[in-house]
Amino acid sequence: MEPVLRLQDVSKAFPGVQALRGVQFDVRAGEVHALLGENGAGKSTLIKIVSGVYRPDSGSIVLDGQPVQLHSPHEAQRAGIATIYQELLLFPELTVAENIFMGHAPRRAWGGIDWRAAATGARQILASLDIHDLDVEAPVGALSVGNRQRVEIAKALSQKARILIMDEPTAALTQADVERLFAIVRRLRERGVGVVYISHRMAEVFALADRVTVLRDGAYVGTRDAAQTGEGELITMMVGRTIDQLFPKSDVPIGMPVLEVEDLSLAGVLDGVSLTVRAGEIVGLAGLVGSGRSELAQTIFGIAPATSGTIRVAGELVRIDSAATATRLGIAYVPEDRATQGLIRPMRIRENLSLAVLGELARRWFVDRAAEMRLAEDAIRRFSIRAPGPEQIVGKLSGGNQQKVVLGKWLATKPRVLIMDEPTRGIDVGAKAEIHRLMTELAGQGLAILMISSELPEVLGMSDRVLVMREGRLVAELPRADATQEAVASAMMRTAKAA
Amino acid sequence: MAIAIGGRTRRLRRIVVGQEGVLLAAIVLLFLVVGALNPRFLAETNLQSIFLGNAYIAVAAIGMSMVIISGNIDVSVGSLIGCMATLSGSLAVAGWPIPLSWLVPIVASMAITSVMGFLVAYLRIPSIVASLGMMSILKGSLIIVTGGAWISNLPDGYALAQMRPLSVPMPVWFMVVLTAAAAAWMRYSAAGRAIYAVGGNAEAARLAGISRERVVMMVFMVHGLFAGIAAVLFATQLSVIQSTVPPNLELTIITASVVGGVSILGGTGTVVGSTLAAVLLAAIGSSLIFVNISPYWLRAVQGVLILATVLADLARRRRQAAHR
Amino acid sequence: MATADPRAAMPGRLHGLMLRHEMVLAAILVAALFVLSLQTDRFLTTDNLLNQGRLMAEIGLIALPMTYIIITAGIDLSVGSIMGLCAIMLGYGWKNLGLPLELSIALSLLIGTIAGAVNGWFITRVRVPPLIMTLATLALYRGLAEGISQARSVRGYPDWFFVLGQGELLGVPTQLWLLLVATVVAAVVLARTSFGRMLYAIGSNETAARFSGLPVDRCKIAIYALSGFTAGLAAWIFVSRVSTTRSDMGTGVELDVIAAVVLGGTSIFGGTGTILGTALGVVLVQLLKNGLALTGVKGDATIVVIGSVLILSILVSNWLRARRGVD
Repeated sequence: MEPVLRLQDVSKAFPGVQALRGVQFDVRAGEVHALLGENGAGKSTLIKIVSGVYRPDSGSIVLDGQPVQLHSPHEAQRAGIATIYQELLLFPELTVAENIFMGHAPRRAWGGIDWRAAATGARQILASLDIHDLDVEAPVGALSVGNRQRVEIAKALSQKARILIMDEPTAALTQADVERLFAIVRRLRERGVGVVYISHRMAEVFALADRVTVLRDGAYVGTRDAAQTGEGELITMMVGRTIDQLFPKSDVPIGMPVLEVEDLSLAGVLDGVSLTVRAGEIVGLAGLVGSGRSELAQTIFGIAPATSGTIRVAGELVRIDSAATATRLGIAYVPEDRATQGLIRPMRIRENLSLAVLGELARRWFVDRAAEMRLAEDAIRRFSIRAPGPEQIVGKLSGGNQQKVVLGKWLATKPRVLIMDEPTRGIDVGAKAEIHRLMTELAGQGLAILMISSELPEVLGMSDRVLVMREGRLVAELPRADATQEAVASAMMRTAKAA
Repeated sequence: MAIAIGGRTRRLRRIVVGQEGVLLAAIVLLFLVVGALNPRFLAETNLQSIFLGNAYIAVAAIGMSMVIISGNIDVSVGSLIGCMATLSGSLAVAGWPIPLSWLVPIVASMAITSVMGFLVAYLRIPSIVASLGMMSILKGSLIIVTGGAWISNLPDGYALAQMRPLSVPMPVWFMVVLTAAAAAWMRYSAAGRAIYAVGGNAEAARLAGISRERVVMMVFMVHGLFAGIAAVLFATQLSVIQSTVPPNLELTIITASVVGGVSILGGTGTVVGSTLAAVLLAAIGSSLIFVNISPYWLRAVQGVLILATVLADLARRRRQAAHR
Repeated sequence: MATADPRAAMPGRLHGLMLRHEMVLAAILVAALFVLSLQTDRFLTTDNLLNQGRLMAEIGLIALPMTYIIITAGIDLSVGSIMGLCAIMLGYGWKNLGLPLELSIALSLLIGTIAGAVNGWFITRVRVPPLIMTLATLALYRGLAEGISQARSVRGYPDWFFVLGQGELLGVPTQLWLLLVATVVAAVVLARTSFGRMLYAIGSNETAARFSGLPVDRCKIAIYALSGFTAGLAAWIFVSRVSTTRSDMGTGVELDVIAAVVLGGTSIFGGTGTILGTALGVVLVQLLKNGLALTGVKGDATIVVIGSVLILSILVSNWLRARRGVD
C-alpha cells in the first residue's frame, strides 16, 4: 500500500547537535505507527519536521506521492497533518466548540462565524468519536487533561486530518482516560486516519501499533511489524548495547544515611513519601511523568516546601523552606529542564558556575573575580567542558556541555546530597557516558546521589537501589539485584485499579 | 437536549457571577445607597453629567480593552485623545465642512495607532515603550502646534456630543451602540476571537495559523478608531476645547478596562465589562461629592479598585489552575 | 586559554553589545553638546551646566533603582506617585502633625520605603505582574497624596531646609553631589557585587535563579523598597528646591525615568543594562531639553525629541542585536 506520507533521508542539525541523520519514516492510511527511541533519539525533531515547525536541512517529505515543503504548522494542517503536543495547545478561556473550530469556523453569508453551526459541528465530531459527555459550550480551562486531549483530537478531525501525530499522549492521563484514548485511536484507524504514536510505554505500543520504527541518537535503526517483534528486540534496537557495557557502575562502600525523608507530603502532589539515601549510594527514582518524581525532588530542595513530614540531613532534623536553605544544608539539585531551570543561558560559563556559591565567593559583598575565574577554569578542566573558555556564553554550548556546567555549578557548593533529575536527557552518547562516569566517581567520594530518570536502562544500570513512584506515592523499593526491567516497569505502570 | 440546556445555564451563570454581573450590581447598589443618602444624586441633571461627561471614556476603554486582551498596552491614549480633539476643533474653526472635522481626526487617530501597531507587531518594540515614546511625541506636538491656546468660536452644528436624538444624549447613543457592536464583533467574528487567541496563548495561536503580527496590527487600528471617536465626543461636549492633554486620562481608561474584567495577563475580558466599569468609576466620582467625601480621595478609590480587581482575577486563575 | 579573551578584564556586563550601545549614546551626547554650543553661547557655560545638574538630580536618582528593577524584567510606574505622597507627608507631618521637620523628613522617607516594599511584596508573594501592580499604586499613592493634602500646599520651611535643594558645596549644587555619589555606588554595586550579579541572573532567567538557591523574592522586594526610598529622597530634594509642597509633585516622573533608563540601553525584557548607560541617558535627556529650550524651541516641545529618540534608540539596538545574531 502506498503510504500517505513518506520521509526520505531527512537530516536536521542544531548548533552543537546533529539531531537527525538521514532518517526515513512513512505512514499509511488506517494504521497506527509507533515511533520509539530513548530521550534525545530525535523523535521530537522528527515530528516537528512533519508538523511544519522545523524545516529539514536535507532530505524530502513526500505526501501522496508528491514532494512537498511544509513551511509552517498551518501549511502542514492544511495538508492534513495534525499534531497533538504533550503540552496541549488550547485556549483555556474559549469554549470547546470555539477551540475545535479555531481558525476554520463555519461562516455565515456575511462572513461572521456561525457559532450555532460550530457547536453542532463540534457535537457531531465528538459523537463520531463516541464522546457524549463533553459540553461544547464549556470553557476548556475547566476540563480535565483527558478531556482536553479529546478536544485536541476533535480539533484535528475538524481540520480533516489524514495524519494525526500524538506525542506521548498518555503521559499525564489516568488509567481510565488511557483506555478511552485507546478506543478513540482505534476508531480513528478504522476511519482511515494514519496515526503516528509516540510513547515510552512498551505495553501501549503493543496494544495499539501496527508497525514500530526505532530511532537511536538521531539515526534510523529499523521498522518492524508489531506482530512480528517483541519487547526484547525493540529495547535492543533502542539501546543498541547491553546494559552492562553502557554503565560504568562500580561497587563502592556505602556509608551512613545522609538524606532521610519521612512521611513527606505536599498537598495534592505527594502522599507520605519516605526514603533514605546513604553516603556513596546512588538511588534511582523511577516513575512515569506526572508520578510526582520531580515534585518530590523539588520539595526536598525547598522549591515547593512540604506541607508535612520530616527531612534529616546527616542525622539532623532540618526545615527546608527555600532553595537557599537547601543549598546551605548541602543539598544540590540538577533540575530536569536545563534551559529554563538549570542555566542562565545568556550568561557566561563563569557566571553560571559561580551562581550557587556567590555568597562564599564574595568578599564583603564583592564578587572575587580571581576566585571565580579559578573556579571556572577548574570546572572546565575537571568536567572536560568543551568551550573556548570561561567567558563563553552558555547558551551557545551543546546540550552535554551545558549539562556539565549545571553539574559543575552544583558541585562547587560541595554538596552532601546530589539530586539529579533526568541527568542525561537530550545529550549525545559521549557526554552521557562522561556524566555516568562522573556520577560513579562522585559516589566513590561519598556523595549521596538520588537520580530521577525516565530511561529504564539508566535507572537499572546506575542505581544501587531503585525506588518507584506512582501517583505521588512510593510504591516499590528494589535492590539492584532484583531490579529488572519488568519489575520496575510493572511497578511504574500498575494501574490504580487496586486502589 | 441535556447538553444544550447545560450549556445555556452555564452561560447564564457566567454572566450573573461574572465581572459584568458584579459591576452591574455595584452600580445599582451605588445608586440606591447614594440616592438614599442624598436624593439629589438621582436628579436628572446629575445623571446626565455622569453619563454625558464620561461616555467618551467608555468608548475609548472599548479599544483599550482589545489592546490589553491582545497582551499589549497603550499609555499614549490620553495624549492621542487630546491631540485629536484639538485637531477636530481646529478644522471646524478653520471652516472645514463639519462632517469632515469629525471624520478626519478619527482617520488620523487610526493612522497614529497604526504606526504604534507596526512598531509593536513587526519591529517587536514592547508596547509599553512604543506607547511611552508616542505619548511624548503627541504631547509635545500638541504644545508646539497650539501653544496651549484654547479653541473657541466653534461653528454651529459642530457640537455632536450635545445633540439629543430621540431625547437621549448623543454620547450615550455612541456608548451603547459601540459597546454592543464591539461586543458582538469580539464574540462572533473570527477576527475578534483571534484577539483572545493571541493574548491567551500566542504559541498556540501561531500553530493554529493565526498571525500575531496581523492581529496586533488590527487591534491597534481598531483601538485608534475608538480613540478617535472618543476624541470627537470629548471635543464637542463643551463650547471650548482646551488644547491640552486631559490629565491622567490614559490611567482612567486603563482602569476602566481592568476593572471591567479585562485580564491584565491577556486573553480574557469583555468590552461590556469595561463600559460598565467606566460608568461605575464615573458614578463613584460623582457620588463622593454627594456623600460629602472630598473628591480628592477619588484616585485612591480608583487605585484600590484596580488592585482589588487584579487580585480577584489572579485568585480566579489560580483556582482554575488548581482545578485541573 | 581563558585569559586570552580580552573581555574577561572588563567589569560586569560591559560586553560587546552594551559597550556598543553606550558608545553610541556617548557619541550622540558629544555631538549634541557640540551642535547646541554652536547655536547659543549660553549653553556651554559652567553656570548653565551646573544648573542643569541641579534640575536632573531627582530624575537621575530615581533612575538608579529603576535600572535595577528593569534589569530584573520588572517595572515601577508608581515612583512619581510615591514622590508626591512623600512630599505631602513631609509637609503634612511638619505643618499638620506638628512634628519636628527632621522627624517629618525621616517619616516621609520611611513611608516611601514602605510604599515601595508594598509593591515588591505583592509582586513577589502574590505574583501580580509589576506593570499592573505599580499601575494600581500609581493611582493609589497619588490618591492618598491628594486625599491627605486635600490639594493644600505647605510653605514656609526654615532656611536650613533649602540647603539640599538650593545650596551649593564647593561651588557645585548640593544635590548634584548626592547624585554623583549615589550613581557611583549604584554602578559599583551592580557591576561588582554578588547582589548585582543576582539582578542580572533574575532578569535573564528567574526560574533558574530560584533553582540556583538565590533569594529571588527578597532581592526583588529590596529593589522595589529601594525605589520607594529613592523616590522619597527625590521628593525631599524637590520640595527643598521649589520651597513648597504640592500633591501633584512628581506627576509623569515615571515616564521620564523609564525613558532615560531604556534610552541608556537597559532592555525592558530584563537581563541587560548598566548604570553608566542610565547616567548617559539621564544627562542626554536633560541636555537635549535645556539646549533645545535655549535655542528657542518651546519648553514642552522638547519632549517630542525625547520620545523620538527613545523609539529610535530601541530600534537601533534591536537592529544591532539582530545583526549580531544574539537570540
